[in-house]
Amino acid sequence: MKTKYFKQFLALVGLALMAVIFAGCSSTSKTSANAVTHITYWHVNAQTQGGATVDELVKEFNKTHKNIKVTAKYNPNMYKGLMQNLQSAQASGKVPDVTQVGWAYDNYFSSNFKYMTSTDAAKKFDGNDKFITDHFTTKTLSFAKDANKKLVGLPYSLSTPVLFVNKDLLKQYNIDVKSLDTWEGVQKAAKSINEQSGKYGLYIQEPGDTWAQQAIMLSNGADIQKNGKAAFASENGEGAYKLYQEMVTDKTALHTPWAQGMDSFVKGDVAMAFTTIAQASHIKKGASFNASAIIAPHFEGHKTTVPVGGSMLAITAQDATQQKAAWEFEKFMFKTSSSVTWSKGTGYLPPTKDALESKEFKDHVSENPMLVPAVNTLDKAIPWTSFPKNGLQAEQAMIDARDKILSGSDISSTLKSAQEKINAQQ
Amino acid sequence: MNRKKNALWHLPLMIIGIIALLPVVFMISNSFKTLQESYQSILSLIPNKPTTINYTTLNHQVNLARLAWNTFFMATLVTLGKLFTGLLAAYAFRYYQFKHKNLIYLLFVATIFVPFTIVMIPNYLVIAKLNLLNSVIGVALPQLCDATGIMIFLKTMEKIPGSLFDSLKIDDIPNRRIFFNIVLPILKPSIISVGAMFFINSWNEYVWPTLILKDKSSFTLPLALQNYISSEGGTNFPLAMALSSIMIVVPLIIYLIFQRYILNSISNSGLK
Amino acid sequence: MHNNKKILPFIYLLPTGILLTIFMVIPIIYTFYLSFFDWNLIAPTKDFVGMRNYIEVFTDPVNQKVLMNTFFYIILLLVLNFIVPYVISLIVKFFIKRMQGAYKIIFFIPSLFSLVVGAMIFSWLLNPVSGPVAFLFRESGFVLPNWTNSGGLAIVVICLITNWKVFGYNFILLLTGLGSIPKNIVDATTIDRIPKWRMIWNIVLPMNKSIAIYVLILTIVQGLQYVFTPINVITTGGPYYGSSNVLYHTYLNAFVLYKTGNASALAITTFLIFLVLLYLEIRFVEGRSRYE
Repeated sequence: MKTKYFKQFLALVGLALMAVIFAGCSSTSKTSANAVTHITYWHVNAQTQGGATVDELVKEFNKTHKNIKVTAKYNPNMYKGLMQNLQSAQASGKVPDVTQVGWAYDNYFSSNFKYMTSTDAAKKFDGNDKFITDHFTTKTLSFAKDANKKLVGLPYSLSTPVLFVNKDLLKQYNIDVKSLDTWEGVQKAAKSINEQSGKYGLYIQEPGDTWAQQAIMLSNGADIQKNGKAAFASENGEGAYKLYQEMVTDKTALHTPWAQGMDSFVKGDVAMAFTTIAQASHIKKGASFNASAIIAPHFEGHKTTVPVGGSMLAITAQDATQQKAAWEFEKFMFKTSSSVTWSKGTGYLPPTKDALESKEFKDHVSENPMLVPAVNTLDKAIPWTSFPKNGLQAEQAMIDARDKILSGSDISSTLKSAQEKINAQQ
Repeated sequence: MNRKKNALWHLPLMIIGIIALLPVVFMISNSFKTLQESYQSILSLIPNKPTTINYTTLNHQVNLARLAWNTFFMATLVTLGKLFTGLLAAYAFRYYQFKHKNLIYLLFVATIFVPFTIVMIPNYLVIAKLNLLNSVIGVALPQLCDATGIMIFLKTMEKIPGSLFDSLKIDDIPNRRIFFNIVLPILKPSIISVGAMFFINSWNEYVWPTLILKDKSSFTLPLALQNYISSEGGTNFPLAMALSSIMIVVPLIIYLIFQRYILNSISNSGLK
Repeated sequence: MHNNKKILPFIYLLPTGILLTIFMVIPIIYTFYLSFFDWNLIAPTKDFVGMRNYIEVFTDPVNQKVLMNTFFYIILLLVLNFIVPYVISLIVKFFIKRMQGAYKIIFFIPSLFSLVVGAMIFSWLLNPVSGPVAFLFRESGFVLPNWTNSGGLAIVVICLITNWKVFGYNFILLLTGLGSIPKNIVDATTIDRIPKWRMIWNIVLPMNKSIAIYVLILTIVQGLQYVFTPINVITTGGPYYGSSNVLYHTYLNAFVLYKTGNASALAITTFLIFLVLLYLEIRFVEGRSRYE
């Protein structure tokens, strides 16, 4: 008897707790009634990088397509973060329907996840692949093909690395922009600026991938991979890293994480920054100096070659209605107006022929001259190296090698051991 | 002379006070700068041309109400759960004799020493199986009990003499009345201070939510902050600071209201 | 009636018990189980590899580096988050007479902040080339070392960031502990003209031992988990694992590289280290056999 009220009190608190839990449940659960097909779209665009544009496009799509409802999901930490989430989503069995896949994960994605190739989707739902051939150049499509020549997805965003320069600093210290066509010239300029001002000459992006470093090696005539095996530990690969290491050691180049490095460039403490064109709008907004961009440099005696950056859209939906809806959504995203809106919002280059040629995009470029070198670099772009097995570990091995070399390790042995590590897993 | 000496002791304390507050001032001041000014005048604590553009942009870009609600809902759930389970368990430990009591208590306390990483993988799989990914409930569920609460409540209850309890038992006073009329009033300060700390910690939680919440609409405030530290597009520092300033409002209000309890009874109640 | 009394405590313990079983006990066992397998979180099969994951914890050079870093973290956290607040709480308690309340209020404010915010603010303030601190250093003729390039310095900065957050909390804990020391003992020493430092060393510190050890252990156990956020936001463990610790490395293996077995073995190793600390906690704080 004596515990009766106390028990009642407990029951009440318990009930209240349950009620709160259920209230939360019902507010987050979604009903999938009606004839509306729900699909989810996973992307990597943070709010500072076109996230708002993605929301805007999705909203427009949902408005114009009454029978399909797209929900966009942002995945932090770029393509690597998205791949991680996809891997854990696979563990829980809830995969997205349309997925933005970074070029570096092309082969890894195609050999580890279930998806529908764009060619199959076009043939199944349109009856032919005219949509694909009409909108994309062969070169652009080659970026999205895996080792078995299958079209994993449709190229969605394109980017190239460019050399951003602080024109005021260059002028102040008498550096001729033309001398920056080669890495040797960049090194000389950086040294001169450093000696005269104490400022850093150059920053090369150091994110959770080695895209920019690969561009430097490629522009010294090195291969990143040959026949599916890593091949960057060559004389040319070492040569590229040698210049980079020298510059970091004698403090003419800044070695620091990406966010800090770019902040220093935008603030005016670093004269040049080798990074993705996607940074252009941030630089334009933040910098109080005269900023401009030039084509990625190459080594003397070699040509500029860069891995293309960006992503493709792959269909990961499993059942036919959702695949069809996913294809509808992709086609909408590749309309010229959508592509250009997307490009303006993100700083990437549009993937389709018609969008690149459109007046709207050309106007945009003339307002943002920093985009010009990026557009011109597209001809010099090759697919981003992507290893089919253990793609995440392979990228990590290359990042580890970069970090070791920049903190002074022997270049030749470090590259060799990274290469062996990757090839042992293939 | 004594005065001088006294002032000398204040010096390190003042320095620590400045270190504690300066980043806060810095955060608020940068939230009123434009991106360009944040790069240009790094030292100034007062913006040259104060602007609210960051706040309006934020309001335009993210659903602040939704974010705040998710965070609030999660923190409330966690706090209520921890208080409820903690009070019950402490009550059992204080006023009942049962087998292996000592061992059970030590096992409970031991959970404080379980590193997050050891339960991370299995708990992730469980939440995924329960279909609670992208739900703040999935974040809260594994966190509904906390041995710290049990410890502090138990030690406060120990201040109530056992003999009092025994005599009430003999008089056949119901448990409910003992709990409400005697235990609860004595416990009130520690419930408030422990509850406030649970809430604030949960409000700010980052690591576990990043594993569970992937969908923007389920984000809590600390996760939304990630939106503005993306390197690929450049970090928009003033925007991030505006969001940070918004984020601190609720913990600050709680602190100001319950400051007396929080500062005086975090451990007063708890540890001898 | 009698029965009731026997069952009731267990009913009260049930919610905690159930939650702990599902989200703590079973997961620990499962992680232990996983530590003997090679698995990637999604593959349908797990390969049994015996002790290999554990051997790797101690032989792999990266793991060794991370373990060493963890040790460095522990020492720094002890100094910054335990010794410094302890000294400050002694000063506030015994050496000043005014403004005690104001210091308490101010010191506690940073603990209201998320570590993500702390990490962002400090990485901006301490940007080695163009942050305000670097600027002030330059103006006064010094050079702020580029801490992002050096594992050791990055660890120092990361610990300072967590210190900013937890300093106030630990300070209050220790100060309240000091407050429970009977005033007449302190007064007596003043009358006897015993120097203050002597009084602190001989009377205050021993009397405050149990709470001090509690804070000390909490500093290590929570501190190692707290540093996770600044590591993740600022350095992601770099340069070349230089600022990683065993908890961050476990996360990296589990959710970035999907080497579930390695992650589990690392987690179990961390747990063993923490168990030693737990033993100390029981020994000094809980007191011997409370309920016997």
